[in-house]
Amino acid sequence: MSRTPKGIEMEGTVVEALRNAMFRVELANGHRVLAHISGKIRKNYIKVLPEDRVLVEVSPYDLARGRIVFRYRA
Amino acid sequence: MKQSTIEVVRVAAGHWHALEDDGVVGRGHTTYRPDGRLFVSIDAWHGTTFDLVARAMLASLPRPLHTLVDEADRELTAQWHRVGFVPARREWEYVVPTDPAHTSLGPGRPPRATTIVARGRAEPDRLKALLRAIDEPTLLRDPSRYAAVAWRDEYLGLLRLAPVPRRPVVGLVAVRPDVRRRGIARALLAHVLGDLHDAGTRDVSATVDEANLPAVALVEAVGGRRGTSQLELVLA
Repeated sequence: MSRTPKGIEMEGTVVEALRNAMFRVELANGHRVLAHISGKIRKNYIKVLPEDRVLVEVSPYDLARGRIVFRYRA
Repeated sequence: MKQSTIEVVRVAAGHWHALEDDGVVGRGHTTYRPDGRLFVSIDAWHGTTFDLVARAMLASLPRPLHTLVDEADRELTAQWHRVGFVPARREWEYVVPTDPAHTSLGPGRPPRATTIVARGRAEPDRLKALLRAIDEPTLLRDPSRYAAVAWRDEYLGLLRLAPVPRRPVVGLVAVRPDVRRRGIARALLAHVLGDLHDAGTRDVSATVDEANLPAVALVEAVGGRRGTSQLELVLA
């Protein structure tokens, strides 16, 4: 049985931290998505700030939404 | 019905996947903290998937269970409430300036007869002794992150700083119970923030439990501004 994520994972850069715990992320292809941080990142107290490079899993149900699953070291 | 096509499987110890058409549409994960508490997290694109993953996880995990949510994320907070989690404590993230002109901190003089041990110079055995004395479950992973206030051959207080790029994180400030209210934490903050300011860092992040009133008072007194709040939820 395949266990691949249905969402597409893409690298991007955080351009804005919004008030509702969401982030606007510009993906490598120029597309912008609204993303929240994954539970694993939150649980490990990893802070995400504007200008951070991140890996985003884009929702398979809504290509304008995503989830930040990894923050790269600066 | 979308719900009927999703299957939740435990794929490894502490890992669950919600599968739809052989693709992963949700994940559950557990982590034990050094203090023995079990934390859970769930990532799902829809509330129905969240509920299915939660049901599978909660059926096989011991209690109590803990999780963290950003309080501004009302949807996620509501999802955890729906499966029985209730608030246990709230932590505020503060952004604290390093500029002495804004912190009103002096040069960081420690109380009389004590000395400040700069980051990178603290001795691991003395740090461990202090962590035991303050009943702090944190494991001493990297002694170079700690500054301390020393008296004779022991440490009375410590401050741990994580060197996160652009905004370092003050992860822990602690003082031995019998020598509190003598300015030790303030001296440590003044010393570390002053060093960071000299190195060009404008501010740091500090997370404070809102029930820890002395810590809240200290951080706010040095110009800390409240940012987001993190809610720890528990299922007993």
